Amino acid sequence: MDLKNQPVPEGSHLLEVDDLKMYFHTQDGVVKAVDGVSYNLDRGETLGVVGESGSGKSVTAMTIMGLIDMPPGKIEGGDVRYRGLSLFEMTEKQMQDIRGNDIAMVFQDPMTSLNPVYTIGRQLGEGLRLHRGYSKEQATKRAIELLDMVGIPNPEQRVKDYPHQFSGGMRQRVMIAMALACDPDILIADEPTTALDVTIQAQIIELMQEMQEKNGNAIIMITHDLGVVADVADKIMVMYAGRPVEFGTADEIFYNPVHPYTWGLVRSIPEALVDEKKPLTPIKGNPPSLVNVPKGCSFSPRCPYATDRCRNERPDTYTTETGHYSRCHYSMDPEFVAKNAPTNSRRRAEENGAADAVAGKGGEA
Amino acid sequence: MADEKNAPTKADDAAASVPSDLEGHVDAQGRYPLLSVQHLSKEFPVDSGVFASKMSKRVSAVDDISFDIFPGETFGLVGESGCGKSTTGRCIMRLTNPTGGKVFFNGENVADMKKKDLKSMRHDMQFIFQDPYASLNPRMTIGEIISEPLIIHGEMTDKKERLDFVRELLDEVGLNPEHINRYPHEFSGGQRQRVGIARAFALRPKLIICDEPVSALDVSIQAQVLNLLSGLQEQYGTAYLFIAHDLSVVQHISNRVAVMYLGNLMELSDWKTLYAQPYHPYTQSLLSAVPVPDPDVQRSRKRIILAGDPPSPIDPPTGCRFHTRCPIAKEICSKERPELKEVAPGHFCACHFAAPFPIKESSINL
Repeated sequence: MDLKNQPVPEGSHLLEVDDLKMYFHTQDGVVKAVDGVSYNLDRGETLGVVGESGSGKSVTAMTIMGLIDMPPGKIEGGDVRYRGLSLFEMTEKQMQDIRGNDIAMVFQDPMTSLNPVYTIGRQLGEGLRLHRGYSKEQATKRAIELLDMVGIPNPEQRVKDYPHQFSGGMRQRVMIAMALACDPDILIADEPTTALDVTIQAQIIELMQEMQEKNGNAIIMITHDLGVVADVADKIMVMYAGRPVEFGTADEIFYNPVHPYTWGLVRSIPEALVDEKKPLTPIKGNPPSLVNVPKGCSFSPRCPYATDRCRNERPDTYTTETGHYSRCHYSMDPEFVAKNAPTNSRRRAEENGAADAVAGKGGEA
Repeated sequence: MADEKNAPTKADDAAASVPSDLEGHVDAQGRYPLLSVQHLSKEFPVDSGVFASKMSKRVSAVDDISFDIFPGETFGLVGESGCGKSTTGRCIMRLTNPTGGKVFFNGENVADMKKKDLKSMRHDMQFIFQDPYASLNPRMTIGEIISEPLIIHGEMTDKKERLDFVRELLDEVGLNPEHINRYPHEFSGGQRQRVGIARAFALRPKLIICDEPVSALDVSIQAQVLNLLSGLQEQYGTAYLFIAHDLSVVQHISNRVAVMYLGNLMELSDWKTLYAQPYHPYTQSLLSAVPVPDPDVQRSRKRIILAGDPPSPIDPPTGCRFHTRCPIAKEICSKERPELKEVAPGHFCACHFAAPFPIKESSINL
């Protein structure tokens, strides 16, 4: 009765998140951690979710997995449908079948996400014994295969080791092996490489991409690093204060961003390989408290282009034909976008090309 | 306390009188370095406590590294975790005692300074710590935190004058001077790091060691703090030793950059050369592993993915410490440790096969 072996019903996507709202009721007030997130995901696709800490990236993922304690959490609206079935209408038993089997998660901190008192082999095989009814021997055999698959040398020996005997990069490989043990449809990776060094990060990203090519699963990659999403994502969602402020394909977000917050993020990163150093253009101020989100557009207190309209009126979602959407009153104004958006490699190449040869390939990009 | 006031002149005299250790260490303008690190080593015993013996194994965290920092420049030190970059910073400040080598600051050897001299040395050398949550005393107001260095060094004994100065400092680092009586928990991470910066600048030091000052902050806040550091440097001519693992941040802020791996210095150059034309295979793989926020570039570029993890510094590889992961390692690499040689003016590299892009051919295309 594996859900993942059934066809996706006509007209629906593998995963549909529809105006999801998750609020926490605390003593200080209602924290609107996730406030209206929507997206669709199909097999083989990678969605990158970017945003600063506290923007609701992880809570969205945890809500999909049903890992939020309720209370204090409360789903205030919206729906999450996996293969056309609402996850919120399922019983806890059904959710247990889905968790780890159909939708699996890789957590940020490989140091604390493994149980220190069980061997790697036992933890790797746990999902298989639970979901597939494997015997102990079968599970160990498969665990060795999995360790080998993620590139851990000498897997027959290492399967008997405990987590403290593994380095950070190797533990993260184990976490990925564990998440992939039951061939999930969707792999949610919550900052999988943030705790790792760049050379190890490159290994892990390559591993996740290889596995995706082989298994055709979808990936939701949560990160604060725009470099990582540029590397892996097909679609990108930029979140700010619990809401997605811009959503589009990787090309749209990097080469044609329309929301001032996305621009601010791009301008905050030091440019690579430049001839002259320019000072960075940071976003002024601090992210708002989620208990007391500003009236109007939540980014308006930090936005250099904010008008009275932004401060008083919450912007609607403006969507283009390609599904690229933005929550900014002015994102549909091409003049405003052209004037204020940061320059990028494509635009520079276009300008250089235009300067080099007037009759050129202006229409290419 | 008595020689407090004389300290700067004494140091200047010393710089003039003992150039023997600093001979040949001049920069293009003929200046002597503000800080000269020579053959610095630091080993930690693996066992400690009652059962430790002279025979027990040692972690060689920093092994024979040398570099100079000139007045007013930013010197970046990059490397992966465990490569010894923080230990280097701590040895220079004598927060931990080096086990070998010399560190000349203002012409005086910090490595054999007595406690009293250390205090006056630290007047001119300050530290900014990584974790803005752990490096501020939660029981002190930010006013008390920032005025502490002034009190310790006996400057501005008049309380009103001191507090006025602290308010000025708060304003300078972009905090509201009215918040002088607030406690650290009332501030966000970025604001706390500004408090740490104000504290480091209170004595107008000549050198500040910044140990991962922005890595705990979100990108938008990171850019604010980097701009603040550059602005203050422009104003006061302070030199920075900027320790970080983020290559793009180091590139942005540094004049010269050194790359460390497993306690060794692999490559040292001005920032532009190091990033545009690295000679060392480790620098090349490190740079190629950094994801660029530009999908077109990301899709088209060749990348070198290093296999495995860095080896343990308890039993480091013989010869070149990088040879176990190096894609172009030959027999000699496991036998002889390569010297840090000058491969181009001002560009040093420790590799037997140092050349611009020596591993271009073996790069894998993703």
